[in-house]
Amino acid sequence: METSFTLAGLASQLLVGLSRAMILFIVSSGLSFILGVLRVPNVAHGSLYMIGAFAAHTIAVAFEGSAAGFWLAMLCAPLVVAVISLVAERLLFCHLYEREHLMLLLFTFALMLILGDLTKMTWGADYRSIVAPPLLQGSVPVLGTAFPRYNLFLLMVGPLVAIGLWLLSTKTKFGKIARAAAVDREMVGAIGINVSWVFAFAFVLGCLLAGLGGALVSPTISITLGMDHSIIIEAFLIVTIGGLGNIWGAMVGSLIFGITQSVGVLVLPQFAIVFPYLAVVVILTLKPTGLLKSVW
Amino acid sequence: MKRQHALKASLILMAGCWIISALLLPAPAAARNIKIGIVDTYSGPPAVFGNDALNGFKMAVNEINKQGVLGNKIEFVTRDDKFKVDIGLNMAKELVLKENVDLIVGTVNSGLAMAVSDAVAKKEKIPFFTWMGKSENITGKAGHRYVFSTTENTAMAGKAAATVLAKKPIKKIWVAGDDYEYGHALDESFSRYMKQLKPDVEFIGKTWWKVGEPDLVPYFTSIQAAKPDLIHFCTGGASMANVLKTIKTTGINQKIPIYIHTAIDYAVLKPLGTEAPEGVMGTMDYLFYYPELSSNQKFVKEYQALYKAPPGFPAFHAYTTAYLIAEAFRQAGKIDREKFIDAIEGLKVDTPVGKVEMRACDHQAVYPILFGTTKISKEYGAAVATDIMTLRGAEVMPSCEEIQAARK
Amino acid sequence: MVKNILRTPSFLWTAAVLLVLLLVPFIAGRFYVYILAVIFVWGLLAMSLNLLVGHGGAYQFHHGAFYGVGAYTAGLIITKTALPAWIGLCAGPVAAAFTGLVVGAFCVRLNKLYFGMLQISLGSLIWILALRWYSLTNGDDGIHGIPMPDLLSGSVPAYYFILIVVSVCLALMYLILKSPFGATLRAVRDNPQRCQAVGINVRRHQLLGIVIATFFAGVAGVLFVVLEGSVFPDMLFWVLSLEIFIMCLLGGWFTFFGPMLGAAIMVALRTFVGSYTEYWTLILGVVLILLIFFLPDGIMGINFRTWLRNRERRRSTDVVR
Repeated sequence: METSFTLAGLASQLLVGLSRAMILFIVSSGLSFILGVLRVPNVAHGSLYMIGAFAAHTIAVAFEGSAAGFWLAMLCAPLVVAVISLVAERLLFCHLYEREHLMLLLFTFALMLILGDLTKMTWGADYRSIVAPPLLQGSVPVLGTAFPRYNLFLLMVGPLVAIGLWLLSTKTKFGKIARAAAVDREMVGAIGINVSWVFAFAFVLGCLLAGLGGALVSPTISITLGMDHSIIIEAFLIVTIGGLGNIWGAMVGSLIFGITQSVGVLVLPQFAIVFPYLAVVVILTLKPTGLLKSVW
Repeated sequence: MKRQHALKASLILMAGCWIISALLLPAPAAARNIKIGIVDTYSGPPAVFGNDALNGFKMAVNEINKQGVLGNKIEFVTRDDKFKVDIGLNMAKELVLKENVDLIVGTVNSGLAMAVSDAVAKKEKIPFFTWMGKSENITGKAGHRYVFSTTENTAMAGKAAATVLAKKPIKKIWVAGDDYEYGHALDESFSRYMKQLKPDVEFIGKTWWKVGEPDLVPYFTSIQAAKPDLIHFCTGGASMANVLKTIKTTGINQKIPIYIHTAIDYAVLKPLGTEAPEGVMGTMDYLFYYPELSSNQKFVKEYQALYKAPPGFPAFHAYTTAYLIAEAFRQAGKIDREKFIDAIEGLKVDTPVGKVEMRACDHQAVYPILFGTTKISKEYGAAVATDIMTLRGAEVMPSCEEIQAARK
Repeated sequence: MVKNILRTPSFLWTAAVLLVLLLVPFIAGRFYVYILAVIFVWGLLAMSLNLLVGHGGAYQFHHGAFYGVGAYTAGLIITKTALPAWIGLCAGPVAAAFTGLVVGAFCVRLNKLYFGMLQISLGSLIWILALRWYSLTNGDDGIHGIPMPDLLSGSVPAYYFILIVVSVCLALMYLILKSPFGATLRAVRDNPQRCQAVGINVRRHQLLGIVIATFFAGVAGVLFVVLEGSVFPDMLFWVLSLEIFIMCLLGGWFTFFGPMLGAAIMVALRTFVGSYTEYWTLILGVVLILLIFFLPDGIMGINFRTWLRNRERRRSTDVVR
């Protein structure tokens, strides 16, 4: 046991924790974005993540597992999810924004139930798996241990998404309107902006990120029904400890979640799963509204 | 609380009661078919097993009904337990108390199998067959007259693997797996038999991750650093594919021998295609391509014609279960639960891979265990098992004395 | 005073319903007796949640954890100790209320969604404990075949026990809601700032509310053990907590019996629709969305009298025309 606790071991464990945090970040930043702008805790987010993974598989298989198919899947699967969420938003969700939060939460829960069963009807119960393109297969030596290339790829994608989101919400007109609408939607409406469409766009963007997370995670896991349940609660907790609606908070929260768990594996493997939850309890006890400034 | 609310409430409750009582017509007992209730998982990750088993069962029932049983037919109803114990119990009770089924079969969920075994089979004296619940406790420690297992169990897997691996130069073993009953049971039985057969073996560490853990790389890096002679992964279902993928990406199989029960299952290896890791040792109780008996080839061909995929082990278990049940009813001579149990104890039936016996002392079906190593096959475009060794069922099962001792 | 209560129609109706329920085992098949018992257990759980959500306005997101704590306490005391089963059954609710006190003490410091999130993480810790502590809890397998005292074994005695306990609990809840404490709880829901201003200790009231509600959740957990003889970690999983929420919504937040009706609908959907199709959760989802759009106060929230009055008014205008 004690042999595993070396500096190199710790370093590689940290790297792995970081790459795990990237997936969590991509999913939870979408959740956080929706929370920040729409003030809706979207329980169906996990289902959209699952659909993203299934869609990525379908697209990759259509191209017989070629590298081009893989990249196309990474690109198109989130779009599929975006279309689904747009339909749900325009058809149903947009009529509910005036309701109280519990109702919205329950609506998204209903959506989760429906999407879960629809996924089962569409894709069935078989296990699925995507093969990463040759460029991202295998592992590279890092500090004496083998580190999978795909995880390195994830380490690059995560920050890109973060920067993109940041630019979008601070530098573009849409981002500014969205943030303003979150603070005072009457005022934004009063100056002649169609708030409803701003909300729709924010919702779809958030869901797109869920789909992207699902697509990106798909080569590392087996794609099955029920993968929505495990991610959603983690994403919620990450968003809460980071500060509701704060994109950088989602990043900090994901890092805490990913790293506490992977380092926990090193310290106390049997109870590794407990560490992230403990971290959440400690943070919320000390700093009840999350680490970074919440937009609420 | 306002008065009219309470009034309204009472009205609605009353109405509810009457509607329910109106539904209470007892089912008439006509000249009848044998009715089997299936409680199994058709949602969530384990649904792949539930569906495969159901296909095998349907196929067997169709074959059996051509001939008939006791002048009648076998019919069945299915219920989805969603892999949840409370829903499964609910469904099992509904099947017994409302649908009046003669016996219950099913479930991938070992916890549910134990709950049904106790709360329904034992209490209502209804025979219950588990065809996928692999905990050895079901027919071991917690066994009784009304519970049967038609799946290989964790004790058989552990003993078979220990028999083969004890002959290899292995001293230090690391155990890693899914933190749930099945994972722990696999570890417990393999470790027990390994220590029996090779007392100087050393278990240097254990790693448990939560079921459905998406990223296993952190665990693998810490195991690799400890340099064991063998890693025993205790996993199954959807997590199995994750483990195999991570073995491939980290290349751990090129440095350390690996054993995983059901790693040579085609249902697990097929989605991975040529990306499956080679050289992983595994055990199974059924492979559609081995042994190459004509009866097995016929079974596989017919199954493939019906369901467009080769049968997995759940289909084989369910198929065998149906034949055991039909034959036991024929021997019992009438639809009587107690006579049925007397008839099925020690009964042998023909299956695609030869005779299978329902052992009388513990109600555990006797299956041979196949031990093999993964290798990519051009023919299937996926990994399959090679260098297959067959261990006879009787050799790898706990003896009747052990069972009796455990039940005390 | 007593006479007045006895004469009220609501009391008479309640007595009549109780009488019918007492007779059910004589007229109905065993399966329906069992299903009714399941409804009572879930109904009690949902009503205990509604105490906090409907009447207290708290974001009690992981109520299921306390239900599980009650059940596990009872199950563990009965199977792992030599103490008589009755002690286990009584200890369940106490343990749940104590857990409620500890968790609540952390949570009441926070507002709304943060309250809910902290509760989910604390509840998940309890869930992980049940899942991981193999030697004590058997992990995800759970504990099955928990023996009951002779008085409670068999489905009909269990039914009567559950019926009596649930009735007593409902009566207690009714009294609590009628009491000044209940009124304060509702006042806190509607306007916490004003309550604070007039000198009500909001946090203490919320905490007391949580302890009471978790006590009843513990009772529901114990009753589940009486009914099924099993406990398992799913009882502590957050999905169950959301399902309890749904029951409250289905039946009606702001009514007393609403959650009970919601529980009945859930169980009926699961049992009767579930025997036709494995996609009953899809139907549940659609029903939920319809409810959110057309009956946001739940089924019991329909005001029959207003509805009738409106209809009569319409008729009378028809006549005039």
